[in-house]
Amino acid sequence: MWSYVARRLLYSIPVYLGIILIMMGALRLRDPVSAYLGKNATAETALLKKASMGLDRPFLPIGIEDPAEPFGIEPIVEVGRVGFYPPLRTQYVEFLWRILRFDFGTAERPYRSWQFESDNVGAKLADAVWPTLKITIPALVLTATIAILVGLLSAAYRGSVLDKTLMVLVVLGMSISVVVFIVLGQVFGSSWLNGKLGFELFASNGYEPGIQNWVKYCALPVIIGVVVGMGYDARFYRAVMVEETSRDYITTAVAKGAPRHKIIFVHMLKNAMIPVITRIMITIPFLITGSIVMEYQFRIPGMGKLLIDAIVNKDFPIIQTFTAVLAGLFILTNILTDVLYALVDPRVRLA
Amino acid sequence: MMRRPRSSTTCSLLAGAVGLLVAMLALSPVAAQSTGEKFARLPIRSDGPKSLDPAKGSTSYDNQVVCQIYETLLQYKYLVRPDSVTSYEDVSEPLLLAEMPKVSDEADGKQVWKFKLRDDVFFHDDACFPGGKGRKLATDDVFYSWKRLADPKYEYENYWLLQDTILGLDEFKEKFATRQPSKSEPNPPPPPPFDYAAPVEGFRKVSDTEFEVILKKSVVRFGWVISMFQTSIVAREAVEKYGDTLGKHPVGTGPFILKNESDWKPGQNMILHRNPNYRTELYPSEATPKEKEQGLLASAGQKLPLLDRIELTFYTPDPVMWQDFQDRKIALVQVPAEYFEKAFVKRTKRLTKEYSDNGIQAEAVPLLDFIFRGFNMEDPILGGYDEKRTKIRQAISLAVDLDEHNDTFYNGINVVYDGPIPPPLDGFPKNGKAPNSFRGPNLRKARELLAEAGYPEGRGLPEIEYYTSKGSNQAEQTQAEIRQLARIGIRLNPKMVDFSELIEAINQKKAQMFGFAWGSDYPDPENNLALFYSRNKAPGANHYNYDRPEFDKLYEQIIVMKPGPERTRIIEQMRDMVIADVPFVGSMARTRFYLAHPFLKNFKPSEDFYNWFKYLDVDASAPR
Amino acid sequence: MIAAFKRLKASRGVGKFCRNRLAVAALGIIVLYALVGGWVALGDLLPGRAGITYAQVEQPVWPTPINGFGIPATNERRVEAARIITREVKRAVNNGEGFTDIRYGLLHILPGTADSDTELDRLSTLIEESEDLYDQLSEFDDLNSPEPPTLDDGAPDPDSIDVPSTIARLEGAVRQMFAPLSGWQSLKQSLLHSLGTDRQGRSNFLRVIFSIKVALQVGIVVAIISVLVGTFLGAAAAYFGGWVDHAVVWLYSTLSSMPELILLAVLVYAFSGSVFDKVSNPWLALVPVYAAMCMEFWIGPCRVIRGETLKLKELEYVQAATAIGFGRFYILLKHVIPNTVHLMFINFSLLFIAAIKFEVVLSFLGLGVKVGPSWGRMIQESTQEVINGIFWQIGAATVFMFVLVLAFNIVSDALQDAFDPKHVG
Repeated sequence: MWSYVARRLLYSIPVYLGIILIMMGALRLRDPVSAYLGKNATAETALLKKASMGLDRPFLPIGIEDPAEPFGIEPIVEVGRVGFYPPLRTQYVEFLWRILRFDFGTAERPYRSWQFESDNVGAKLADAVWPTLKITIPALVLTATIAILVGLLSAAYRGSVLDKTLMVLVVLGMSISVVVFIVLGQVFGSSWLNGKLGFELFASNGYEPGIQNWVKYCALPVIIGVVVGMGYDARFYRAVMVEETSRDYITTAVAKGAPRHKIIFVHMLKNAMIPVITRIMITIPFLITGSIVMEYQFRIPGMGKLLIDAIVNKDFPIIQTFTAVLAGLFILTNILTDVLYALVDPRVRLA
Repeated sequence: MMRRPRSSTTCSLLAGAVGLLVAMLALSPVAAQSTGEKFARLPIRSDGPKSLDPAKGSTSYDNQVVCQIYETLLQYKYLVRPDSVTSYEDVSEPLLLAEMPKVSDEADGKQVWKFKLRDDVFFHDDACFPGGKGRKLATDDVFYSWKRLADPKYEYENYWLLQDTILGLDEFKEKFATRQPSKSEPNPPPPPPFDYAAPVEGFRKVSDTEFEVILKKSVVRFGWVISMFQTSIVAREAVEKYGDTLGKHPVGTGPFILKNESDWKPGQNMILHRNPNYRTELYPSEATPKEKEQGLLASAGQKLPLLDRIELTFYTPDPVMWQDFQDRKIALVQVPAEYFEKAFVKRTKRLTKEYSDNGIQAEAVPLLDFIFRGFNMEDPILGGYDEKRTKIRQAISLAVDLDEHNDTFYNGINVVYDGPIPPPLDGFPKNGKAPNSFRGPNLRKARELLAEAGYPEGRGLPEIEYYTSKGSNQAEQTQAEIRQLARIGIRLNPKMVDFSELIEAINQKKAQMFGFAWGSDYPDPENNLALFYSRNKAPGANHYNYDRPEFDKLYEQIIVMKPGPERTRIIEQMRDMVIADVPFVGSMARTRFYLAHPFLKNFKPSEDFYNWFKYLDVDASAPR
Repeated sequence: MIAAFKRLKASRGVGKFCRNRLAVAALGIIVLYALVGGWVALGDLLPGRAGITYAQVEQPVWPTPINGFGIPATNERRVEAARIITREVKRAVNNGEGFTDIRYGLLHILPGTADSDTELDRLSTLIEESEDLYDQLSEFDDLNSPEPPTLDDGAPDPDSIDVPSTIARLEGAVRQMFAPLSGWQSLKQSLLHSLGTDRQGRSNFLRVIFSIKVALQVGIVVAIISVLVGTFLGAAAAYFGGWVDHAVVWLYSTLSSMPELILLAVLVYAFSGSVFDKVSNPWLALVPVYAAMCMEFWIGPCRVIRGETLKLKELEYVQAATAIGFGRFYILLKHVIPNTVHLMFINFSLLFIAAIKFEVVLSFLGLGVKVGPSWGRMIQESTQEVINGIFWQIGAATVFMFVLVLAFNIVSDALQDAFDPKHVG
């Protein structure tokens, strides 16, 4: 198994480098400086801005200098028009070096975001993680719980009215777009409901830290997330449970006279846990991304909103760091999931 | 006998779930905090300022917050706002000064401004000062703050305000500027580090409270510049201690302070507290009869600021801001165009019965807006000063129906006018109609001109790339324009991009036609005419890349001419020149409507200046 | 492949599917949508004769927003519509322009030209009448709740006008400016008004129908490409093994390591301002969206088909074919892939749904369809109306989308039950 892990990790390195390269390159296809110039900018201002953003350095250690826009650093050696530049001063390698040291800005060696000029990128990301987790983790727990329950009940009482009703409700949740739930949720779940209740139960937007504010700001997004996401999981678990009901050990248990709920909650659940667990594992990296749409509409300062603001405002440091961290997380979690799956289910052989 | 065991697991699960729900509900805040402080929650209709450092700010969003914490030499008068404005003296009054500056013209063309600072201005208490106590404001602080604009560390973002104005300042800036490699100097030496102590000839200190600023020539703009937030006075100690985090940790002289850095949650809100050491500044005691009627003198003579605390909430989606106003969570609101009909009767522009019965206050604030659809005058197909290409632009201008835009998207509350100068400035044509206007819609004339230009029914004219920003309002307007131009056979290819891309396309001269706007920085038509000054071509504000030497000459004249009938005449001449060349299709100026709850007092908003939060007060019915 | 389809049709799975009446009904709905979408698409090929073109959708069907289901608008709105129409006609008369530019849906001014004096006279009279009535109504501050004017002593003024009837007369005058509509035409006009309009006065009905075409377009293109690419790569990877397998696995591991929305945003950003951004060819404008979705979606079918192929590889008939000496590609194409066709169908319908829903989210964020209506854009544009209590646009878009997605969900469920009963998840 360890050789498998090592091999996967080794494979992942060029993948990771490639992702970073593609992403940084794609970002630099368009020049972000214009977005940050003030009202009556001059060519001088534009040049200075570019330098302070670090964009006047070559991207890779090998580069050809455009005489109209010279680089801000000197090459080590020049062969014809191609120059070799000190790698650590080039944009790509410098960023890789940052990732290696996990240094995204400290008080002494700042790495500032372009939108928030007084803040380090690392600090901004750290600040944004917690609000996102406050929504994604409860949503995950609730979705899994409810979906398992629904799946179990549906499978146990397969074909009955209960089963049919549950499935209809579940499909309803899946067929309406999440954005509709968000828009209507903000109007009805918040303003209308608050009016009827006389006090503010759910806020239509915004965020304040602290566990006592959780219901006010995070409950509504969580509810919407559960309603929308539960459908897929519930049907999946139902199918898994149905598969289980045809097994011999269930027939044995029934024959032995075990009570129904014991069969459902003890036997079936235990044996169906394997696919359930692996499915949950797959969704772990998404816990960090959060739902961009949800955070944007509810103005929750989480990772999703941070990212989309960065993309719209062309804030390269944040986009790059975000992608670097997230891609790394994805890769590691993928490997972990595969390993866990293999550990848990002896029938699976790691390739 | 078979016992029917109740599944303990199910029960405990159920009990747990119920308990969790109860706990969650119990934890939600029910009782509001009552501290006895007077406060108001006010909206800022953007994501908030990017930085609280005056030298780095440039947008009105930065302005809105910075001016509560920092102060400038002059400020706009809150009450008694005249209808027509010719000079800064009409609307300004001293803030950090003891009296209005005395201006004298020298024989050699220079102008001397004599300033006298107030004696009782102190910086906010902050750890950057010895003992944490704010120091008294002095002449050196003014010079320091203005020299900062010439510091390359701030990328000269706001240097244009003082460019070519103060004697010796341009040379001072050049001394420390990075020299670009050129033929004669392929490897220029790096510049010396910026030295704030280096003297500038135009900054003459007389004493710690008196100083003179010598201008190269009589620059009319200077009178306005000294009330713009970018020229606010900052403390040297704060800059030296906080460096580039000064944007989060402001130290000013103003009526409000940012007590802790954590009081600013970017993208969410910012809490400003009253400055406990604010000098004695009183609410104005003079008002027009109408203002007296509105109750705006109720707080006359009281010490400012009237509120103990203001909470600025940043809103990007409008529906959320509107809803919060309905829920009495914010005290006032700018009425977004989509909600105009909820509060006002579109036909009469007056409050609906429902709103006026609830005591909601309404104010209309005309903006110094110049909303236009610009052309790139350097474009081979559309741009140029020859007859053929001018006719194409004239045809386009005649096909666009700005009145329809006004009705559909702005509820008819905007002012549609000719030329680049908004009301009520000098040079605004009477009733908005200039003698040589090409304002549409006049489809017959448009078709004629297009045919004369050699493109009958638009045949032969390639698609025009039209860049606009992405907001939904804009998108719908663009659709309307496509439709309008299609009527004479012109095809628009819209590129709806976000704001930064729009700027980029314009600056790189890629945009043939673009939808954009300019808000005047100060109420002088020179600011709008500067848009056509050839020296301001991209990346400057001359987005059209307009270049007429005759215009430039006139522009250079009015910069130094004192306001009066002669200057007005030249301004009108320039305006007509620009209208004839049609570098844009225009224009519109928005009227912003504000609503406030009855518990907000002294409410007279303006968008020419933003430091009026200090005059606001709330009465007992305000939410606590 | 034909043989494979024939075999499929006769298989037990199809029979089982057909016995599921709900699924067949859902399939019927999908076919209905497809027909409507196809008809709309004809608008590009035969503009004016069939289908709906982009230009037609953008045309306002009334100068002010109106409600659906024939619910009358408020008084103020009605008066304003009359005012705008009067203003437009007056301007056309004064400028000596033709009236071809004044159209609201099927309503248009009689094609009397500027030369026809009687026509001009008639219109001028109507304009005067309309302006006169409008002036009378201007006395009131708020026509939605007009306060009856009173005399000095507080008694109601007997000479005051009756607001509802005056407004009716005003609307009558304006209506006469337009050419009368035939029965069939007025039916079409009411259909255009049936679901109300958005802020610009564009018909919600037209836009939601047009969006069917957009949704189907996106769904079909993305689902087909993803399924084909995924199937081929997955089967090849499993069948050939070795470096092919490693390459494919590496590829989908890489792509699934990038958060989708980032990949998408970066792609859209890189593509913007390019040749794809043309209004004149809305088909092309969606290419960045297709590209971005396909890049993520092919992974699903690829994994599934790869798993299935790994199983098939060990079956006897494949081994027999290899032993006989058929070429490997031949075996892949003729024996292996056809036996995964049922999975391809299932994945197709699943991806179709995913594509439609993803497009809605993208357009809502402003990243997806930028030119012309789509359900996502309609929902996004409705966020402001919803606060004002206007639910026509969001209602129409949601219902139409819901029905299609629901139908597809039912069909894909039934397909899974029929063809892959042991399939889990």
